[in-house]
Amino acid sequence: MSSTMSFKQVTVSALGLLLVSGALASPVFADGTLTVSSPQDPGSWDPVDTFLINWASVGTNLFDGLTYRGPDMKLVPALATSWDVLDDGTRIRFTLREGVTFHDGEPFNAEAVKFTFDRLLGEEGAKGPQQSNYTAIESVEVIDDNTVDFHLKAPDPVLLTKLAGYGAMIVPPQYIEEHGEEYFNTHPVGTGPFQFVSYEPKVSIKLKAYDGFWGDGPKLSELDYRFISEPSTAVAELQSGGVDVVIPPTIPIAMIPTIEDDDNLDLVTTSGPTVYALRFNTAEGITADERVRKALIMAVDRDAIVNEILGGQAQVIASFQGERSFGFDPDMEPLPYAPDKAKQLLEEAGITPGAQVQIDIRGNDATFAEVTQAVSAYLSMVGITASIHPVETNTLLNDIIPQGKTGAMFQQSWGGWTFDFDNTAYAMYHSGQKWNPYDSDPKMDELLESQRSLTDPAERERILQEIAQYAADRALEMPLYSLNAIYGVNKRVKHFEPAPDNRMRLNEVEVE
Amino acid sequence: MIGFIVKRFAQAVFVVIAVSLIVAVAIRMTGDPALMIAQGAANITEADLDRIREGLGLNQPFLVQYLNSLRGLVTWDLGNSFVGGTPVNLLVDKALPATLSLAFASMFVSIVVSIPLGIRAAVARGRGSDQLIRIFSLLGLSFPNFWLATMLVLLFSITLKWLPPSGMSGFASFIMPAVTMGVILTATNVRLVRTTMLDTLNSQYIMVARAKGLSERKVLYKHALRNCAIPLITYFGLQFGGLLGGIVVIERVFNWPGMGTLAFDAVAARDYPVLQSVIMILALLIVGINLLVDIAYGIVDPRIRTK
Amino acid sequence: MAFAAPPRLHRFASLEFVLGFLLLGGVVFCVVFSAWLFAPPGQISLSSRLVMPFQDAAHLFGTDALGRDVLARVAVGGWVSLKVGFFSVIGSVVFGVVMGLVSGYYRGIWDVIVMRCADIQLALPFILLAITFVAILGGSLTNTIILLIVSQWVQYARLVRGSVLTLREREFILSARAIGVKNGAIILRHILPNLMGPVVVLMTLNVANNILLESSLTFLGLGVDPTIPSWGGMLAEGRTYLQTAWWISVFPGLAILCTVLGLNLLGDWLRDLLDPTGRTNR
Repeated sequence: MSSTMSFKQVTVSALGLLLVSGALASPVFADGTLTVSSPQDPGSWDPVDTFLINWASVGTNLFDGLTYRGPDMKLVPALATSWDVLDDGTRIRFTLREGVTFHDGEPFNAEAVKFTFDRLLGEEGAKGPQQSNYTAIESVEVIDDNTVDFHLKAPDPVLLTKLAGYGAMIVPPQYIEEHGEEYFNTHPVGTGPFQFVSYEPKVSIKLKAYDGFWGDGPKLSELDYRFISEPSTAVAELQSGGVDVVIPPTIPIAMIPTIEDDDNLDLVTTSGPTVYALRFNTAEGITADERVRKALIMAVDRDAIVNEILGGQAQVIASFQGERSFGFDPDMEPLPYAPDKAKQLLEEAGITPGAQVQIDIRGNDATFAEVTQAVSAYLSMVGITASIHPVETNTLLNDIIPQGKTGAMFQQSWGGWTFDFDNTAYAMYHSGQKWNPYDSDPKMDELLESQRSLTDPAERERILQEIAQYAADRALEMPLYSLNAIYGVNKRVKHFEPAPDNRMRLNEVEVE
Repeated sequence: MIGFIVKRFAQAVFVVIAVSLIVAVAIRMTGDPALMIAQGAANITEADLDRIREGLGLNQPFLVQYLNSLRGLVTWDLGNSFVGGTPVNLLVDKALPATLSLAFASMFVSIVVSIPLGIRAAVARGRGSDQLIRIFSLLGLSFPNFWLATMLVLLFSITLKWLPPSGMSGFASFIMPAVTMGVILTATNVRLVRTTMLDTLNSQYIMVARAKGLSERKVLYKHALRNCAIPLITYFGLQFGGLLGGIVVIERVFNWPGMGTLAFDAVAARDYPVLQSVIMILALLIVGINLLVDIAYGIVDPRIRTK
Repeated sequence: MAFAAPPRLHRFASLEFVLGFLLLGGVVFCVVFSAWLFAPPGQISLSSRLVMPFQDAAHLFGTDALGRDVLARVAVGGWVSLKVGFFSVIGSVVFGVVMGLVSGYYRGIWDVIVMRCADIQLALPFILLAITFVAILGGSLTNTIILLIVSQWVQYARLVRGSVLTLREREFILSARAIGVKNGAIILRHILPNLMGPVVVLMTLNVANNILLESSLTFLGLGVDPTIPSWGGMLAEGRTYLQTAWWISVFPGLAILCTVLGLNLLGDWLRDLLDPTGRTNR
């Protein structure tokens, strides 16, 4: 017999080796490392390049802005310790925090602030989408090392909130000038609690604690993010210990029981700003009639949908905003669930049973697809046959909706990340906006424009509430629900505070 | 002979250029990248969109963009991703080895399993074990591979916690994806090995070896298998090309950072440079492998050259 | 290659045939008669969501997240797979065989054009083709069928071309031409019947493969409208319920397995019958 091993022996040993190495592959955590699963890699860590919320889950830990808005939605000082609004709102003077340094050691001062905003409003910012948000700023003037003046073209009541947003994150002038823009994209440096270690595009980004952080020092030693877009894969990683936290919107409602049943995991939720509605085609078809629209709304039992399909992880809304939105009216009631009244209205409007409507929805939203199917079932009970038409998301958002090619109803989901109804309402209801291809209402336009430049928040709020009520009276959409922000967290993670907008600051978090 | 090689090479070049043109045109029909980038911004105007397009180089005439991309393919400067400006080279340098290594691992698994099984089936021709092996290989062909993958993850990652459910993170992470892909390949290869072995086993050469009194094992593995090697290798080579196509589903399920995932994300984001590069590189690989196999075949079997 | 002598009855006794026929026949029967056999598949019942299988006579396979009967959905869902499998193969056979005939018989410029098109086709990995195609045109039953036809006609074209090239030099063809029989008649009456054997085998195997491909595509979100019940769609839906309601995924998966296995078994049996020389090597 030959001296070489028989094939059988080779196979058995190979299998044995595979099994052993498999067992050894179970992840071992270093002390104080937190691993987070994020659904998408934004591709660049430069704050001016993107609007994706998945930038924020990482960016919030690398960078700071002049102001900061945490999970409680309150605006607090960050890199600016105080500010004064002067000259009827056209000039804001900021006093800057002293003793702050960037991760590369350079000092934070007024020069850095000026550099940041010149860059945002200049050529580099022009390549990205953030610039259009800050066009109210005319220029930034250095008064002294710790004081800057913002000169505005016109008063902007939301500017202070926007300064907590991505585009206004303060970036290091010397570092960028030395290494260049392209390097900065993949090797970010800021003033936040964690500093950059390494980045593997589409796979992961690793951060570590920054000793020189100006605020309450981070308690973790390392912070890793893995990019996992498939929900079931992300949850599988959570269960097997490969990640500690899964951030929204990854976790589908369907997997909530899976997480709740697992002894090692916690489901942490908070009300979120993302809202869902079915918007009507007010120009053509049976939905051009206001009575029909109201009837369709009353035909659907929205509470049942929230409780049954969404497992209670959402709240029924009366207007197209979540409860934390500025402009939200807690007293406003949605149209009731009243199928008999609905049938009556339909009859009045001359609609015969069997009338067809088409509902266009996004192709990749499994949860909403289920919701729409329930809606369709409810509609059939009042004699309306609804067909559901999923469209590839990008095509829907960038072609079908703006060109007014939708069916009778279409999915309207909105991030609501500014937590201010103005942002949503203007885009949804104003004539000529990309999200509003069908309707043009001078009264609505007037209301929308009137509150944009008001500096009195109480007055703004009143008008925003009026807008919401007017939209409901005209039944421009069927508001459905605002979805909770759902996080899956391993029990070894302590002091984790769920952020409704993914902007989670992890400096207080510890792990066992 | 030389004429044959030149002719085939010229055909290959033609195909590559035609493919590049088709791809360049097709991806531009998928939608506007500027809209993708601006998504989420509240008050984007047409002017803003145009500004973004300018920055991406999309306002240049098509021919200029196309020739640039061709030139880039040759000089290996594939441009920058529309999503965040990452140089495409960086992305491909990571993704291509990931896909290739998974492809090789899958082929390895399938070869290791299919050769002994195929030989066994050939030897036992017509009898019980042959029938069984054939039916089992059909079973392998009939499984939806993503279903199998999901089941494997459920068993090995979630329940037993033996293997990582996703990502490319060392030897253990190759196991499930390679096995999943390997199952289907094995099914096909078992039959290939069986058929090729059958042809060989009937040949004079083997009868002589048996007559000489060599052990059955030696006859099978040392002599018969060697004879089959050439046709088998060519089949496996061709299979490799087809493999690259099917690997995308597996990459999705296992979050494998390969070319398939890259392409998938690129389409969603209308990321032209990435999408174009991925498709072109894979097409080049496939055309290249087919060319080599054809030439090898042509050398071995002169009749092919005149076809 | 002329047909083998008509199959004798004992050929039907092969294990492959019996098993294949039973599996495939069983599935097709359930699908075609689903309207009579099972409850309406679309009936949503928010009060009986996620019922386990084998508990209740009304829901043998359980219910899904919206309270719909899984057995009914699996039965109706088969329509998508069967339609896609059937029509895509018919389409690619017709187109592919015609191209192959033209290319192989007339040679010359036609041959060059068809073969170059085939080469281009083959250089594009299927899924990437699918992703781009769907991004431009959207996913739907029709588009999936078109996509499959576009990517598969090449197999038939090449097969047929190869056979035609051999056949056209054979004596009986040469004599027919010498007599003055028109090309069209030659192709239809002499060449075509002699190559249908391998083509039929390939067709059967491709129906099986296409059903698998369709479910992969739908799973990725690239295929049929996910609100029509389809096996791939149900598998995709069921993925997030895998640990809490395994039946939503398992039963459609088994349905696919049985259908495809049945087809493969039959295809194998056909291959032994019609193409023992192995020209349809897979």
